[in-house]
Parts: sequence; C-alpha cells; structure tokens
Amino acid sequence: MKLIGKLTIFLCGTLLIVFANKFPDFGDPHSPAATHLSPYFIEHTMADTSVPNIVTSVLADYRGYDTMFETTVILAAGLACFFLLRLPEEEEKEIYFRHVPTGVTIRIEECGAAPEDSEVFQRIDSQWVPCDIIIRSTSRLLIPFIQIFALYVVAHGHHSPGGGFQGGVVLGAAVILFAISHNLRTTVAKIGEKSAAIMSAAGVFIYAGTGALCLVLGESFLNYGALAPILGTDRVMARSHGILIVEIGVALAVMSVMIWIYYNLSSAGKQDEGL
Amino acid sequence: MNLISALLIAIGLFFFLGGSIGIIRLPDFYSRLHAAGMLDTMGLFLSMAGLALYVLTDFSFANVLVAIKIMLIVVFVFITSPTATHAIVDAGVRAVREPWTKDKKGGNPI
Repeated sequence: MKLIGKLTIFLCGTLLIVFANKFPDFGDPHSPAATHLSPYFIEHTMADTSVPNIVTSVLADYRGYDTMFETTVILAAGLACFFLLRLPEEEEKEIYFRHVPTGVTIRIEECGAAPEDSEVFQRIDSQWVPCDIIIRSTSRLLIPFIQIFALYVVAHGHHSPGGGFQGGVVLGAAVILFAISHNLRTTVAKIGEKSAAIMSAAGVFIYAGTGALCLVLGESFLNYGALAPILGTDRVMARSHGILIVEIGVALAVMSVMIWIYYNLSSAGKQDEGL
Repeated sequence: MNLISALLIAIGLFFFLGGSIGIIRLPDFYSRLHAAGMLDTMGLFLSMAGLALYVLTDFSFANVLVAIKIMLIVVFVFITSPTATHAIVDAGVRAVREPWTKDKKGGNPI
C-alpha cells in the first residue's frame, strides 16, 4: 500500500515536471488564456454585469461555482478545528474568584453559589489572564471603526479591491481583538460558539441558496440574471446585485469561521479562557 | 511644496531607520520596544504628512478627501501603536523580565 502511494506521487511529480516545460511563459500575450479568455472578460464584464471591478465579477459571477466551494472549504476548516480540538465540558469541582478591590482570592466548593457577572469578583483559573484598562478601552474605541471599514470592504467590492473574503476576515478580526483585549469568556457570552457555527453554515446557505433560487426561477445554477423579477431590476443590474448577495454570504461564513477557529484554538478546545 | 513633502518623507524615513537600528542594537526588551514604538509612530506621521502634502499640490475636492484619508491612518496609528507597545511592555513586566542596567550588564536578552 505504501509502495502504491509512493509510485503515485512519483508519477504525478514526473508528469508535472514534464508538462511544466510546455506551459506558456508567464505573461505571454500569445497564450490561449491571453488570446481567448482575458479579452472576453475585459470587453464584456461591464455590459454583462455592470461591475467595474473585473476581478469581482469573474470571482462571484463567471466563476461562481469555484467561489461557492471555496466558501464550503472554509466551513470545512472550521468544522475540522471543531471536531479535532473541542473537548466536552467538564463540571469543575472548585472554582476560584478574586475579590478585585482587596485582592483576596476565595474558593467556592461544589455546592456553593458562585457570584455571576460581577464587576467586583473576577473568575480565576489555571489559564487566567490579566486584562488592562488601557488596552480594553482602546479596543472598545477602535472596534466600531474596524467593523464599519469591514462592511465598506464587503459592499465596495464592486468598485475597488475587496469583497466577501476580505471583509469577513476584518469582521472576524474585530471580534478576535475584543477577545484578546477582554477575555474569551466575555466574548463567548456575546457571540456564542453555537451562533458562530450556525452563522458559518448560514453564509454557505445564502450562497448556495441564491444559486438554487436561480434554478427554481427556471435558469441555470448561479445565473443571477434570473433574479431580475424578484429584485425588480433588469437582468444586468440583477447580476450586479446577485454578486452583492453572494458576497454577504461569503463574509458571514468567513467571519464566523474565523471566530469559531479562534475560540477552539486559543482555549485548546475548552472554551474557558482564551489568550 | 514638492520640496517640503520630499523633505518630510526623508525625515520620516530617517526616523524609521533609527527605529530599525534601535531594534537591533539596543541591549534589552524594553529599550528595543521603546525604539520600535516611538520612532515608528513619528516616522509614520512625518512620511504620511509628506504624502498628504504631495497629494494636495494638485488641489481639488477628491485630493482633499485622499489627504484626509491619509491623515486618518496617522490618527489610528497614533491610537494603536502606543497601546500595542504598552501591551507588550505590560506582558514583559508580568513575566518578570529584568530591565538592563549599567552595572548589572546583560539583563536577559531575547
């Protein structure tokens, strides 16, 4: 079995090396891609989709299948992290709290009542991390700006570099910044693991659902022109809006997968206390 | 105008150079962070001011918007860079990293 594997790798490698020589040069104007494909997209993108950014229209419209499965791959990465790292929650016998003004640490046994959501008491465990008021307030100041910029990146993908993947990453980074500057427990209380998982699946669902809606309306999968009667525009603008809908799905999936992976990685799957 | 912006960018690059030399040459964690945090912020401010001035030589509404965006970068870096330096120094203090002194040479270099 090992031999077969090695032979396969050797064969694929040899074929790659042999045929890599026959590839057209980088940026060769006479290569098939440059003589047939590129001119089509450069000439027709504006008329077909009314999106000035050719990259966005190729990514989300002409090549929509590929991007849909890219989003699925991201969801799969989140799921893989979840299945590999997540540990079942354990009932802790004793928990420790620190009374912040006096610095006294108290131990609460199994039967005792623990103080909840208190400013005065702070939960202490093996992975306790200090948090600092300067860092906290600076990140509180910056996070709204980061999120607004992320939404701008998502919405402005039609005209400038950007789109769902980039905007989703920035949105996820804002939440991760919150988790680093406060702590993981506070963050999980705001965006739970379950909602991160549901949102990441919902992002892929929005993408695939848009495609399926086109199918229901009697055209081919991911042909956004079919959405024109629903959106109340002509076919060209419907393709432009379809790209935006799909980008929102991608952003949702990427954001929540980033958060989900961070939760699992930073707390070693226990979701107690992160970095 | 172009000359002033070129001068500003050059001074900014000088600060960046000083910061890079400081990161390599200074003896311990805290002084290196000092070089990285202070000089990068100043260098960025000067070079971005130079770029904003360069954009403004061709005065129009769109260019004013670009200049404002460039200065917004500076505002955000002025907020975040000292905070990041503070966070790293805080982590160093909590990890009981000894500062370098003249008689007790060495400290504990990274």
